[in-house]
Amino acid sequence: MADCGFILAAFTAPVEIGTTPSSMLWMFPLLAAIALVYKATKMRVLFTKKYLQQSALLFLSVSGFMFMAIAVLNLLSWLITS
Amino acid sequence: MADQPTNNRLPLEQGLWLITVALAAWMIPGAGHFLIRERKRGVILFAVITTLFVIGLYVGSIGVVDWVGGRIWFYAQVLYSPAVGLIGNVTKHGGYPVYGRPADIGQIYTGIAGLLNLLCVLSAVYMAYCGRGEMIGHEEEEDNG
Repeated sequence: MADCGFILAAFTAPVEIGTTPSSMLWMFPLLAAIALVYKATKMRVLFTKKYLQQSALLFLSVSGFMFMAIAVLNLLSWLITS
Repeated sequence: MADQPTNNRLPLEQGLWLITVALAAWMIPGAGHFLIRERKRGVILFAVITTLFVIGLYVGSIGVVDWVGGRIWFYAQVLYSPAVGLIGNVTKHGGYPVYGRPADIGQIYTGIAGLLNLLCVLSAVYMAYCGRGEMIGHEEEEDNG
């Protein structure tokens, strides 16, 4: 019972996450969830291996696009400020 | 060409069935797919969307569900389940700290979980309309061994 209260109490205060570049890593679990749900709704038949492969491919594609967007934005800000 | 309904239900029965599937899918993520015998899909959707929502609440605290100060986010969050309204009722008086980056992450995670569940509701209703669960459930069961 005490454990249950302890677990519930963990949801009443935010965890410590600084406004640092590494906090951007929180986007990856989100991207993984989006890839898994999208493929689960999109694929006609869910064969386990194919589903995992396609989800991983989508996750990597979106992650790659995010990295490219980060690089382009950094380049733009460097060009503007230098 | 759009899929045609393949089952033999009357239009009224079919309409009620689609509403039942939609409500089930909204109340419990993945339940709509479970109802139409897409069990594997239902379990995956429940696990992924619920994990995302719970992580969001854990990171930002339950204060991120705020239908007074963050109404637009609340509309997205409540798509996860009507139970989110109960959380909103608990947090409407404030008292739960919400700030900084954890609040952003918590709102984004819970909001995206709700929007993903909307996708699942639409998917379940479409599959129920086409009778897909009945058609391809056997293929998946064979794959599961």
